[in-house]
Amino acid sequence: MEEVDYLCMRCGNEYRGPFDKLVPVERSCPKCNSNSIRRNKKKKKNPTASA
Amino acid sequence: MMDVGRHSKINLLTYSEIENIGGYIGNFQVTVRKKARYVDEKECNACAECEKVCPVVAADEFQEGFSSRKAIYMPFPQAVPSVYILDDKDCLGHNPIACGKCADVCEKNCIDFDMKDEIINLNVGAVITATGMDVYDPTEMDEYGYTQYENVVTSMEFERLISAGGPTEGHFIRPTDRKTPKRIAFIQCVGSRSNSPIGNPYCSNICCMNTIKDSLLLMDHYPGTEITVFYIDIRAFGKGFEDLFQRSKQAGVKYIRGLPGEIFEDPKTKNLTMLVEDTVANSVTDFEFDLVVLSVGVIPRRDSDLIQRLLTLSRTTDGFFMESHPKLKPVDAPTGGVFLAGCAESPKDVKDSVTQASAAAARAQILLNAGKINVEAITSQVLTDFCTGCQVCVKVCPFHAITGGDAKLKIPVEVVEAACQGCGTCAAECNFDALLMKHFEDEQIMSQIDAITGENAADKVVAFACNWCSYGGADLAGLSRMQYPTSQRVIKTMCSGRVDSKFVLHAFENGAPIVLVSGCHYADCHYIDANRWTVKRVDKLWDKMERLGIRPERLQLEWISAAEGQKWANTMKDLEKMREQVTQEEIEHAMSVLKEDREKAEAKKKKKAEKKTPVKEIPIEASA
Repeated sequence: MEEVDYLCMRCGNEYRGPFDKLVPVERSCPKCNSNSIRRNKKKKKNPTASA
Repeated sequence: MMDVGRHSKINLLTYSEIENIGGYIGNFQVTVRKKARYVDEKECNACAECEKVCPVVAADEFQEGFSSRKAIYMPFPQAVPSVYILDDKDCLGHNPIACGKCADVCEKNCIDFDMKDEIINLNVGAVITATGMDVYDPTEMDEYGYTQYENVVTSMEFERLISAGGPTEGHFIRPTDRKTPKRIAFIQCVGSRSNSPIGNPYCSNICCMNTIKDSLLLMDHYPGTEITVFYIDIRAFGKGFEDLFQRSKQAGVKYIRGLPGEIFEDPKTKNLTMLVEDTVANSVTDFEFDLVVLSVGVIPRRDSDLIQRLLTLSRTTDGFFMESHPKLKPVDAPTGGVFLAGCAESPKDVKDSVTQASAAAARAQILLNAGKINVEAITSQVLTDFCTGCQVCVKVCPFHAITGGDAKLKIPVEVVEAACQGCGTCAAECNFDALLMKHFEDEQIMSQIDAITGENAADKVVAFACNWCSYGGADLAGLSRMQYPTSQRVIKTMCSGRVDSKFVLHAFENGAPIVLVSGCHYADCHYIDANRWTVKRVDKLWDKMERLGIRPERLQLEWISAAEGQKWANTMKDLEKMREQVTQEEIEHAMSVLKEDREKAEAKKKKKAEKKTPVKEIPIEASA
């Protein structure tokens, strides 16, 4: 299963977790247990781009 | 089964598969593929002459591969109807005829190599899903050496070995030397009650009693056999089960609380050794056995996905089909007119399966006898003037209760009220406000938001709670006198899927500092998968809020069951802390940008509508 970045909208914890478009799973923050979890779609900066 | 086969009002379709199921409660259209068995069911009298001459030998699935069958065979001794079947994959004589010996000896000419699959269309009022279960395959559990050591067998294989109708005709032998084993170990909870990725977390319910029954059977038929059962807990909770457990202990069966870490085989004797910690006696002991039986658990059928899709059913995290309500509707599926029986719903023994099947049959009978149903008052209604036929609602409806619609031809969709369960997801997803959710109309909910935010909006948390779980959780918190801040104001919807984006935005536009959307846990959604749409909507809202410069954290999402009063209270405490941190400037900024955004969208919508439907001037002559 693909792993993506998540951001907890309650405590701000960022973590990686499984993601499956076809079989969605209940998201919960491993730190505070909240279900307000947003998929962090921020694109990672390409380290070679600035060079 | 014999009675079922003979019953004049039961049409038994064996060796058949469901291809498609359409329609709704009281009016299902079922397409069945009756597979070609190449033997005339009506003529075959099971004389077995064909089987005797068949030259093909294949592994017998019913005997767990311990014996063989022919290409033409009786699936199992008690099969109903009691007729032969020809496996076209194994048969030599099928197209072009290379063998045909079975056809030559069949005096009644039952064998027809040209037989084709038959498609049967049925109209039925109710569907009972009794698709059973599969058995856990312990091959992946390397520590027990299944398939590596011949004398390690599963409980299913053991059943065949000890059965009078089995491959050894009831003479109990072990696979390697074909001698009757004297020392036998049963290992419980294989694949059950495990947190390992290759196991299942749930208890399979039947394995303990099955082992106790097997141990008594062995003691009865082979007195003097040394039987040891390794267990975590013995769960003998049914009527008479404890007596059976005690009888087994009195008969000399040893019960040791602890599971072996690994099994080793003596290459010479093929005996099996293991080291086990007895957690009751607090000792570690070496054991040697002639045969090890793995008491394997039960798993949902591997083709459950197909049944789930055909009947729009819901499944628990374990993979078994979910009932509409665990206490009040234990045999009803969330889809109207569909009922559940047996291990399709959860692991259960014969008695419980029969009880549940009888209940499901009675529920179906009530429905059919009535000939009509009372439709819930809370259903969706299409406002045909607004519907563009875009079919978004058709896609999101968990019950397939919305049909038709054509965007090109401007044909509006239709709601089948008998199938609609009233979750309101369609109304929340419709971009044209063309669906009216009776009793939970947009106007009604907007008015509630206005009432909440009318005075001191900044001091309040607007919480949307679903009727079945979150609202129950809030209720429990109150009934249990749990302490939590009083700033929350609850708006009840039937499902979190009903919470339209515009409700959330309206609350923020009116000055609400925090909005909570809450519903049932994923696996508990009372509307199959309607809360999946809630997540998607909240995700979109977070994106929009960020785009407009509103802190997305101000919108919160929580799954709270009716038993989680404490979770509701804790969530409210967290939200109160968050509310205190929201500044007046933030609230005012959100109010202004959302107002601007809404006005822009309304103007755009108006312009679009005017463009699409220009006012035509009709000449008087033409209209006359």
